[in-house]
Amino acid sequence: MTIFQRTDRTPDKSAEADNAAKPAMRDTPAQPEPAPVIAPRPQSYAQPIAPVSTTAKPQSSTSSQGAPMSSVISKALKITGQLESSEDIQIDGQIDGDVRGVHVKIGNNAKVKGTVYGEEVEVAGTVEGKVEAKKVVLTATAHMSGDVVHQDIRIESGAFVDGHCKPEFGKTAAAKATVVTSPAASRPAAAE
Amino acid sequence: MFALPRAKSGKPSARDRAGPVPSCLGTALTVTGRLDSDGEVHIHGTVSGRISADSIVLGATCIVEGDMVARQIRVGGRFSGRIFALDVTLDASAHVEGKIFHHNVTVARGAQIIGRMPWRPLNYFDSLEQLPEIQP
Repeated sequence: MTIFQRTDRTPDKSAEADNAAKPAMRDTPAQPEPAPVIAPRPQSYAQPIAPVSTTAKPQSSTSSQGAPMSSVISKALKITGQLESSEDIQIDGQIDGDVRGVHVKIGNNAKVKGTVYGEEVEVAGTVEGKVEAKKVVLTATAHMSGDVVHQDIRIESGAFVDGHCKPEFGKTAAAKATVVTSPAASRPAAAE
Repeated sequence: MFALPRAKSGKPSARDRAGPVPSCLGTALTVTGRLDSDGEVHIHGTVSGRISADSIVLGATCIVEGDMVARQIRVGGRFSGRIFALDVTLDASAHVEGKIFHHNVTVARGAQIIGRMPWRPLNYFDSLEQLPEIQP
């Protein structure tokens, strides 16, 4: 507070002067100042500013309770890199990279180059790479070039599959777990 | 950089933007890499990398690091990096570190900005073919 007060005046006079001046000062610049600045803008830049207000609408529709947990990658979006989510992902765009999610849905016109990991992966688009999931669904429009590691698979008539289908999803994880645990378990025994 | 002529011809671009569904990256999603879109992108999660789109909305929960290039950008969360946009809106919950290259900027009361907000003329964004590698 002290930094905003003038120190070169005596406190009595400045308090009186400030009190008299401040209400007048606050009212006059605060109100007319935004008016001339804001008023001409909608005229000159009406088009760029208007869509900002419309952006709020899809946001509120996608998120019923604040921010949404799940993700939608629309067909206009291309992502180069890794995606990791602890929730659902719907992909309608193009992705160059790995995708990790819980329920991953790859839409009709989507294209994924990379490995797709998940609990449940539904492919209706193109995947160039591996799919590793507990449950894999390849629909009639799917174009899958790469291996599928699964526990439970459904392939609809019309789906293109070029690669190996291995029912080793749980097994590889279990095998890795045993590999990791077995040396750790054997080492103390060996040391003793 | 981003198609400015589209912005000038108001009606068709508005129709195009209304057509496709905006991409929405949820709070649970983490993206490392580059995002390119000619539509709208809403980000509520974590992104590190470059984002270019027609319009970008950063939700209150987001944590974004990198450069953003768009015609219009609305920031409601944490962002560090550079912004290149004609219209920039910083909401009250925004926390921005870095530079905001803008033509029009709106800052809500309460927004936290650490850095600079250089104004640029329209032709700067028009001629911006490549982002300056070194921070100017």
